[in-house]
Amino acid sequence: MKLLAATTRYYLRLTVGLFALASVLLYLGFDWALRNEIEELLYNRQLHLQKQVARGLPLPAPAFADNLDRSPQPRPLGFSDTLLLDPVEDEMVPYRQLTFRLQPARAGSAPEWVTLRKSLVETEDVLLVVVGVLIVVLALLLGGVVALNHWLARRIWAPFQHTLATLRGYDLQRHQPLSLPTPTIDEFGELNQALNTLSERLVRDYESLRQFTENAAHETQTPLAIIQAKLEQLLQAPALQDDEALATLVSDAWGGTQRLSRLHQSLTLLTRLENHQFAPAQAVSVQLEQVLRDRVAMLEPLLEARQVQLTLHADPPLPELTMHPGLADSLLQNLLHNAIKHNHPGGRVDVRLNRRGLEISNTGPTLTTDPAQFFERFRKHNAASDSPGLGLSIAQHICAYYGFGIAYDFTQVGNRHTLRVQFP
Amino acid sequence: MKLLLVEDEAALRLTLVDALRQGGYVVEVAADFAQAYEKIKLYQYDCVLVDLTLPDGDGLDLVRTLKADGSLAGVLVLTARDGIDDRVQGLDLGADDYLVKPFHLSELNARLRALLRRRQFQGQHHIVFRDLLVWPELAEVHVSGELLTLTRKEYDLLLYFLANPGRLLTKEAVAEHLCGDQVDAADSFDFIYTHMKNLRKKLQEKGADGYIRTIYGVGYKLSTE
Repeated sequence: MKLLAATTRYYLRLTVGLFALASVLLYLGFDWALRNEIEELLYNRQLHLQKQVARGLPLPAPAFADNLDRSPQPRPLGFSDTLLLDPVEDEMVPYRQLTFRLQPARAGSAPEWVTLRKSLVETEDVLLVVVGVLIVVLALLLGGVVALNHWLARRIWAPFQHTLATLRGYDLQRHQPLSLPTPTIDEFGELNQALNTLSERLVRDYESLRQFTENAAHETQTPLAIIQAKLEQLLQAPALQDDEALATLVSDAWGGTQRLSRLHQSLTLLTRLENHQFAPAQAVSVQLEQVLRDRVAMLEPLLEARQVQLTLHADPPLPELTMHPGLADSLLQNLLHNAIKHNHPGGRVDVRLNRRGLEISNTGPTLTTDPAQFFERFRKHNAASDSPGLGLSIAQHICAYYGFGIAYDFTQVGNRHTLRVQFP
Repeated sequence: MKLLLVEDEAALRLTLVDALRQGGYVVEVAADFAQAYEKIKLYQYDCVLVDLTLPDGDGLDLVRTLKADGSLAGVLVLTARDGIDDRVQGLDLGADDYLVKPFHLSELNARLRALLRRRQFQGQHHIVFRDLLVWPELAEVHVSGELLTLTRKEYDLLLYFLANPGRLLTKEAVAEHLCGDQVDAADSFDFIYTHMKNLRKKLQEKGADGYIRTIYGVGYKLSTE
């Protein structure tokens, strides 16, 4: 729910409640006042008649028969309500009546019961008009206040909406801190200032993280390069080559540094992908089929050694992708290598490429690990494996980077492992 | 053959110079951008090996300068950064080849050979090694005058060995040379076993026996004797 709707809703609840209560009170109050007035009128008339009768004058003939009713029979005394037929309108009309006992001045004459009446019709009309006018005025006031509130809120919240829109479009990649204006409302001013400070800190931290990644890459690769070059030179020593045990020792140490540097390169690549550090300017139109064929050609010796049959189907139209060429290469390399590595001798790899996606399906032993963890880092099919288990994680990150979908699927028939990459 | 090596890391520079001199090159060194800039402005080199991350500048600017000056020198970029970006940028600027650190010295030799061959001899060049005669432009190999038919990978392998005579080549380095830089160490033997076997057999059939020695558990060596 919008903030504005929420506040307006509470506001409406209160005003509608008050409005209903006020209407009822208004009605009751007017009703009470008007009746009081009529009762006072009737009472005054009673006193007047009583005085006249006491002076020995006869009761005047009423202009309207309904207004004065005389009866020799006793009647209940005091005020009461009644309904009488109005012959003109031909409907029952409410009356207020006052009954009193009248003792004529002449001795010996029988007392009379006189009923004075006053129609309530005019009173009701007045009441309706007054209450009606008041209700309309109140309703207009309520509507006006709600509308004004709405308009004001919109105006006052405008800087907030602007801040929100700016935040939504904010991209840390541009290395630009936010520069939100300071609006006249203090709270929004403080919010914007806090956000500006926050973004400055973010940009700074991001920049230092990026630099750290780069420096770490450079600073650790260099000593590794030195170790590796020195070990390689050491391997050239004739004394070493004649001593098999010693040569193996150096060669193993050399292999270890190589694995370390591979691992390092893979992690750096993952970090850079996560930090979105591949400039869009370097993305070019990639002929995926060509990259695929190049990669397959490079992996041929491994295919031969493992006796794995690879087939490549490319169905035109082929996808037109704009990617960083290095990442396209890395993606295919990792997927293909995975399909060959987790295969068995005499197995198959089927690669299908079309406009919608790339599908690499291979035979291989049944998975012992949970497929959900397939793309996790350092997830090895075989714990003793030399590979750090980053290949699929890299593939997944590259896919995520370009908005490709990637999914793993296993079919029992023929123990087929399938990795599907879907292009947008 | 005169080379300029631009590398700020002293330990690595010494090892590289050592390996390159063993390969028969005349090597000059520059430890930073300023030195390198001065040298490429003053002297002619057959090939310049540039490390991209220098303390006082960007190696890519050296590549730019060389290209702007119309230098004939080959440019081999050595990078410790993530190879993915530099490869694209370096090659765009006109570098001839690139190597991501850490690299194998034998791979450096092979790339350097190929680069110099492409740049300077335009097909006039042939390689002679004992009884072998190789015409790289034609991809032809002769053993004592007889044509030797090799597959593409076998030929690559032979050229790689010829670029590193007398050097022990680890099986990982050989596998990487053949199949790119993402080969797992665990796969390397699988990668090269068949090719090595076939190449040796073919050489042997033409009478070039014992050219490639196996250093057990470590790798191979092209025997110079």
